[in-house]
Amino acid sequence: MPYMLHFFLFIAFPVVFSIVLTFHKWNIIAPMQYTGLANYIHLFNDAFFWKSLGNTLIFLAIHIPLQIIVALFLAEVLNQKIKFRGFFRAAFFLPVIVSGVVVTILWQQLYGFDTGLFNRILTSVGFSKIGWLTDPSWAMPSIAIMATWKNVGLYIILFLVGLQTVPAHYYEAAELEGANHMQKFFNITLPMINPTIFMVVILSTISGFSLFIEPYVMTGGGPLNSTLSAVLYIYKQGFFYYHMGYSATLGLFFALLILAVVAIQKKFIEKEQ
Amino acid sequence: MLLSLSCGGKSERNNNNLVYWSSNNQQEIEFAREVVNDWNKKNPDKKVTFQPVPEGQSSEEIILAAVVGKTTPDIYSNMWEGDVEDYAKAGVLVALDTLKGFKDFLYSRCDSAVIKEVTSPDGHIYQVPWKINPIMMMYNKNEIKNLGYENPPQDYSQFLDASKKFKKDLNGDGYVDQWFGYSEVLVTWWQRLFDFYPLYIAASNGAPLIENNKAAFDNKYGIEVFKFLQTLYQKNYFAKERLSVRQDVFLAGIIATRFTGPWEISHADKFKPAGLEYGFTHMPVPDDHKGPVYTYCDPKNLVIFKTCPDAQRAWDFVKFMTSKQNDLKLIEITNQLPRRKNLETDPLFVNYLKDKPKMMAFANQAKYVKGTDPYSNLTEVFDIISQEYEACVIYGKKTPEEALKEAAKQVNLLYLK
Amino acid sequence: MKRVIFYILLTLGALVFLYPFLWVVIASLSPENQIGNLTFIPTSISFDAYSQMISKIPIFRAFLNSIFVATCVTAGVLVFGSMVGYALSRLEFKGRNMIFYMIIFTMTLPFQITLIPQYILMVEFHWVDTYWALIVPYLMNALAIVMFRQYFKSLPQSLIDAARIDGCNDFQIIFKILWPNSISAIVTIGIITFMTSWNEVLWPLIVIREDKLMTMPQLVTLFAVGGRAESQLGVKLAAATMLALPIVLAYLFFQKYFIQSMASTGLKE
Repeated sequence: MPYMLHFFLFIAFPVVFSIVLTFHKWNIIAPMQYTGLANYIHLFNDAFFWKSLGNTLIFLAIHIPLQIIVALFLAEVLNQKIKFRGFFRAAFFLPVIVSGVVVTILWQQLYGFDTGLFNRILTSVGFSKIGWLTDPSWAMPSIAIMATWKNVGLYIILFLVGLQTVPAHYYEAAELEGANHMQKFFNITLPMINPTIFMVVILSTISGFSLFIEPYVMTGGGPLNSTLSAVLYIYKQGFFYYHMGYSATLGLFFALLILAVVAIQKKFIEKEQ
Repeated sequence: MLLSLSCGGKSERNNNNLVYWSSNNQQEIEFAREVVNDWNKKNPDKKVTFQPVPEGQSSEEIILAAVVGKTTPDIYSNMWEGDVEDYAKAGVLVALDTLKGFKDFLYSRCDSAVIKEVTSPDGHIYQVPWKINPIMMMYNKNEIKNLGYENPPQDYSQFLDASKKFKKDLNGDGYVDQWFGYSEVLVTWWQRLFDFYPLYIAASNGAPLIENNKAAFDNKYGIEVFKFLQTLYQKNYFAKERLSVRQDVFLAGIIATRFTGPWEISHADKFKPAGLEYGFTHMPVPDDHKGPVYTYCDPKNLVIFKTCPDAQRAWDFVKFMTSKQNDLKLIEITNQLPRRKNLETDPLFVNYLKDKPKMMAFANQAKYVKGTDPYSNLTEVFDIISQEYEACVIYGKKTPEEALKEAAKQVNLLYLK
Repeated sequence: MKRVIFYILLTLGALVFLYPFLWVVIASLSPENQIGNLTFIPTSISFDAYSQMISKIPIFRAFLNSIFVATCVTAGVLVFGSMVGYALSRLEFKGRNMIFYMIIFTMTLPFQITLIPQYILMVEFHWVDTYWALIVPYLMNALAIVMFRQYFKSLPQSLIDAARIDGCNDFQIIFKILWPNSISAIVTIGIITFMTSWNEVLWPLIVIREDKLMTMPQLVTLFAVGGRAESQLGVKLAAATMLALPIVLAYLFFQKYFIQSMASTGLKE
């Protein structure tokens, strides 16, 4: 199977290479140096790494529920018989297709403390300004909101695909029994699109864990390390300090962690079903 | 289709030419192109192929990747002085002092302080001091006049004084929207090269950050600089918000000063609104400062990689590229200064600079500049300082004393390994 | 009445998603000193930013490069993705679950891990500064495989059984039976792949150094963060608009197809 060849070249080789790296000290330019388990020991004592993990979890805790609720709600709305459906769908999907470079350029303007749109709205209705990206307790939520805005269209489409697979006669039957909108949604739609929800949870967990480009461009991990995501930290270790060995160790540990989280999610969701 | 694909893959070195990478700044490309054409005309048997390196947030990655893949160019002209030691330690750079004619060349170009600065702890020299961009304080002449001053602020008290007067809430929404200055608030390590580091060099007359494998910045000067900057943020004289994502705030009159280099001149002249006048002066210093005011000069140097098949030939080109005539061309085309002594007295340069007072200010400053200390891992050192800088200076979570002590402790750990 | 409020809210919602883009277009058309105003209508229109930008970077050549690369990648992902997805959803073989988890695992790998080893591979193959480097590593995509698998699972087994009785082999089943029945999945995956490939920045930055081989986002990123824009917001926004424009147009074009195919999947059953 060509997949296997491709897999070995572009996935397996790099992975094995990384695993080898975790036992070495390597700054890319000088030859590797064997250091045994030193990288792993360092990992467990590295406060920055744990902080970055915590930040990533904060991000996920905001991002995933927000994403699913918004996506499911909008998908459900779009799935109704409404006018201009195509227009609305196109509008929600627009941020997804546009390059992250464009989005970060944009949102930096929106989040500006002094002249940004959000703060202008806030002050015009009498609230005080928020330091969206400058206040350590707001910075990560701000990034989570932006990421949701950017990605939600994709999940709307996935949910729509899921919703389309729900046979129409189920709803018709329910309507005959006098079910209202909410009842139909909770009794038919939700159970029927469970596989899609599962997929969306997993996909957004994975993509959420790999949070990188937004904090990299917008905050550089600050203020006070509040937006230092795990991947950003791994990247810094690798490409700022050239600690390739340590960076690989962090990366491997992190990848296993994600896998564990995804496996637990899967177990949990299967049990629910 | 296949044909066109395979044609895309032309090899790096298609003949015996040496490969030279410049930075990809527009003016530098133009400069490099001219110099290379000139060289190739004069030396048809020793041709050089020139290519700009893709630059941006990941230029380091590209050089690194090239090192890993052994696809490095023979000559690279834009290596930050602070990176050289890392590459030298890794053994990918040619020790230039082993080349014929290098020492004579270097002694005629640079004074002893510069030579000391670029000499590796192992005694060899891996770089040719090439060009600098000294960091100075740019100021809005009219605003300074409007505040009632004849001269731009020279020391910390004057600076704070002017800041207090300049700070305003123009639209009356209860928030300051006009600040005396701005320095990038991102914690990214190299931002500290444009605020903390030049201020530290200025305050200390060019003291090192690292000495004998130990942090040397936890001293009176470091603390003074941190205190000064902390006050600026505490009193809201500097914005904590990232003004750099807006339009040019200096040209828009939202700030009145900026710590910057000569690259700002052509930019400002091109885009400034009518009536805006600006000048440059040295970095602010502590009130009791004595002697000339030093600054950081952001040196970019020339290196020859070991993948080069004929280092002596590469050296001939480097020598040509850094000749007096070409150094003049560098100033003319790029508005950056060559790192050579007597810049401000040599008739060749003075002739060109005399009717350009702004560039002349930088040329005069060039006598009193410092690059980086010849130690490896400087990226990490600046990152550690930047972390403490953010906590202390911008967010006021620590006192300057605590912050510098902590930074010094971590830096020492770094060199212990 | 309820209906009206519903539409107003929905329109406000859509505006939340659209306004930033309107702004970027308007701002890029405004003279540099008026960009700060967050308005709907520019006070005066100027194409300065665009002409400046076009004179500074070979944006059209980059556009063609991006089209070529993204098309090849999308075709590859659709063909290989559906094959693997089919194998994982419909074929019984040893280690099937293990392979599925391996694929999920690869999705979790931070790209930083594979970056340097992959670059070394590219150098060994002499693919640096060629289109190969931009295309081949992307021909397989875990997300596409997972989505195909999910979708094929929802198709009735009877479809495949019937085909088998008619003597179709696995490849025929995939391309003759499953593909025509999976238009919506193919379009969805195709669009996602196309735009992911289109928007990829970091990898091209590393493997492509020649201006004339650069993809559009790479060129725009270099332009926006590097020195060539001379920190003028207008030209950056113009470049950003140019970068967004083709894919927005492409999406608007596919949108029709999208709705049709989705409607048809809804009707089937």
